[in-house]
Amino acid sequence: MLVSALLCYAGFMALCLAMQKHHASLVGRQGAPGLLRALRWAGWCLLGLSPWPAMAAQGWAFGLVQWCAVLMASAGLLVWLLPYRPRLAVGLAGVCVIAGPAGALLAGFG
Amino acid sequence: MKTKTSGVPLAYRLAVTSRVVAAALGGYAVAALASVCLAWVLPMAQAQGVITSMMLGFVVYLAAALWCFACRSAWRAWAAMLGCALVLGVLDAGLYWAHLR
Amino acid sequence: MREGFRQAMAWLHTWAGLLFGWLLFAIFLTGSLTYFRQELNRWAHPEVLYQQAGTPESLASAQAFLEKHAPGAPNWLIIAADERLPVLTLYYRQTSESGRGSLVETVVDPRSGEAVQARDSRGGEFFYRFHYELEMGYPWGRWLASLAAFVMFVTLVSGIITHKKLFKDFFTFRPGKGQRSWLDGHNALGVLALPFHLMITYSSLVIFMTMTMPASILSRYDGNTRAFFNELFPATAGMGDTAQRQAPMLPLPALYARYLALVPGGQVGMVSVDKPGTASATATFTPKVGARVAYLPGGGVTLNAVDGSVVRGLAAEPVPQRVAGGFYGMHMGRFAGPVLRWLYFISGLAATAMIGTGLVMWLGKRLLKHAGATVQPFELRVVGALNLAGMVGLVCAVAAFLCANRLLPLALAGRASWEVRVFFLVWLASLLHALWRPNGAGWLQQLSAAAAMLLSVPVLSQFATSRGLAVTLPQGDWAVAGVDLACAGFGLVLAWLARRVWRRALQARAEQAPPRAVRIKREAH
Repeated sequence: MLVSALLCYAGFMALCLAMQKHHASLVGRQGAPGLLRALRWAGWCLLGLSPWPAMAAQGWAFGLVQWCAVLMASAGLLVWLLPYRPRLAVGLAGVCVIAGPAGALLAGFG
Repeated sequence: MKTKTSGVPLAYRLAVTSRVVAAALGGYAVAALASVCLAWVLPMAQAQGVITSMMLGFVVYLAAALWCFACRSAWRAWAAMLGCALVLGVLDAGLYWAHLR
Repeated sequence: MREGFRQAMAWLHTWAGLLFGWLLFAIFLTGSLTYFRQELNRWAHPEVLYQQAGTPESLASAQAFLEKHAPGAPNWLIIAADERLPVLTLYYRQTSESGRGSLVETVVDPRSGEAVQARDSRGGEFFYRFHYELEMGYPWGRWLASLAAFVMFVTLVSGIITHKKLFKDFFTFRPGKGQRSWLDGHNALGVLALPFHLMITYSSLVIFMTMTMPASILSRYDGNTRAFFNELFPATAGMGDTAQRQAPMLPLPALYARYLALVPGGQVGMVSVDKPGTASATATFTPKVGARVAYLPGGGVTLNAVDGSVVRGLAAEPVPQRVAGGFYGMHMGRFAGPVLRWLYFISGLAATAMIGTGLVMWLGKRLLKHAGATVQPFELRVVGALNLAGMVGLVCAVAAFLCANRLLPLALAGRASWEVRVFFLVWLASLLHALWRPNGAGWLQQLSAAAAMLLSVPVLSQFATSRGLAVTLPQGDWAVAGVDLACAGFGLVLAWLARRVWRRALQARAEQAPPRAVRIKREAH
């Protein structure tokens, strides 16, 4: 469930940064269209991969329910942090981008 | 024709009430008749078909209720509800009678 | 037509949301609390010392108790102990002299086999039943709750249709901007937890569908609803028929061993013994409810209780039944571990807050239109009062219920009913207070009252019971400690909200003061 959550959070942040208005306020300058497109792809890929760790660990039924829950929770956390602690929000995404795939690999080999 | 309490005309209030009744009661009738139709038609075991029809019934109820408020007038709402109910009613009667034979 | 459609849906969303908002707020708040129903049950009965016992031992205790107290009952129902509530709950029908039976519920210790002595309180069960029965008679409460669920369904979908910028504004939340912030909040709470809102609402309709949408049952089974249920749950088909000659039944632990042979490692959630002590006695072992997502009552392995032979084994349910059971199970979340359970609770609170922000916005928009007037129109005053009493007043009532559990004398007759009465009396008082003071001062007062009561709960637990935080924290009794800590936490949140309301009122008064001083000066000249 945790690894799925990390991937979800990172995915949502990527999708958020792919929007010009959020990109400008978070990064400080306008994003190039190529960068925004790449972020959008990365975001959807991360979200697309995020159900698998939960389903692999707990079976498809429990895994899907858990994935839905962390999907909503990570989006909620992100939207709550954005106006109050934008740098924490982005920093957290950075951690997730590393810890998420790392955790998935560890779980896969463990 | 304005009422005393506010500037909302009586005709408007009646139209809204009419739509609400059409959605609540008419919509339910359409949903129930649709679920009966589905229960006879779905290609599965009897009890399973009934279960599926009940679950889908609420979706039909939702669609009917939304239609009653989306259509252009209260008259159209009633026309839609009564029309669907009639068609489904005939269909259901036919399916039931076919089963009896 | 396009714009007309969205506008029509916006109108529908606004009015359906207002008319049913207060009822739905209450349903969602008590429903959210229900995710911690067993913890609240344990908290509400602090005298009970829970002992863990293995399944064979607890089944033997149950059988001993039932053979002593209900030897001739037509059916025994044994709800097995689990980690969240380690007691046996036994049900049997007791026929009185008049011939009419009543269902007896007894909580039994799984090790000693004795009935558990605890204070008379409904605990978490009150919130559970309230959220789908509204403390109204059968079946009216369920019908009203089901109607509210359908209106919620309509309101959700009309809200989705109305929300033009669902994807564009997905991450948008701008605090500190008045009505704009309330709308952002309402949208965020709605969109970000939309899967939960849709699931919980639709599944609540599925749960009562045999009552609310029975047309297809009646049509397909020619009005014989019993035949429908017998086809779905063949294990229950023979129940209730008149019993026959007496015959001793095998001890339940032995039957449990037969069950384990069929379902290796299978944990038991429930055992139903039909016609115990007779030649046609059967014992049905149902797997633990939390073992799968779907909630499918009526399944399980049925054994002949006299000789242990298998009457009916485990069978995979057909897909439609599993889908319906899946909705039921997702709604209840009985399978959820601690983390997921908290996420369920938070999602429920998000839905509650979504409704609450909607109600506040409905009033706020219209109050702005009448901002200059000295007297509020009567309808807006009523809505304001209903908002306050429906939301903060309800929290006051919940807090008062918990306080009453700690404060009411243990020997009071009908103690459990009195706790419920306190709940409704406080709610009524909050409504009367709100009608008197629907605006800022009223909110400050009721928020403060709720905060004070919630903060007092752990204090009362400590001094009025033997299981306050000083005892439960070192013991690691997180069920009981958790309720005390959560009350303290929510009390602090409400105190913070009260402070915000107070400071905003002070700010508003400071902004109004100079013009009035200028007016007085002008009049003096």
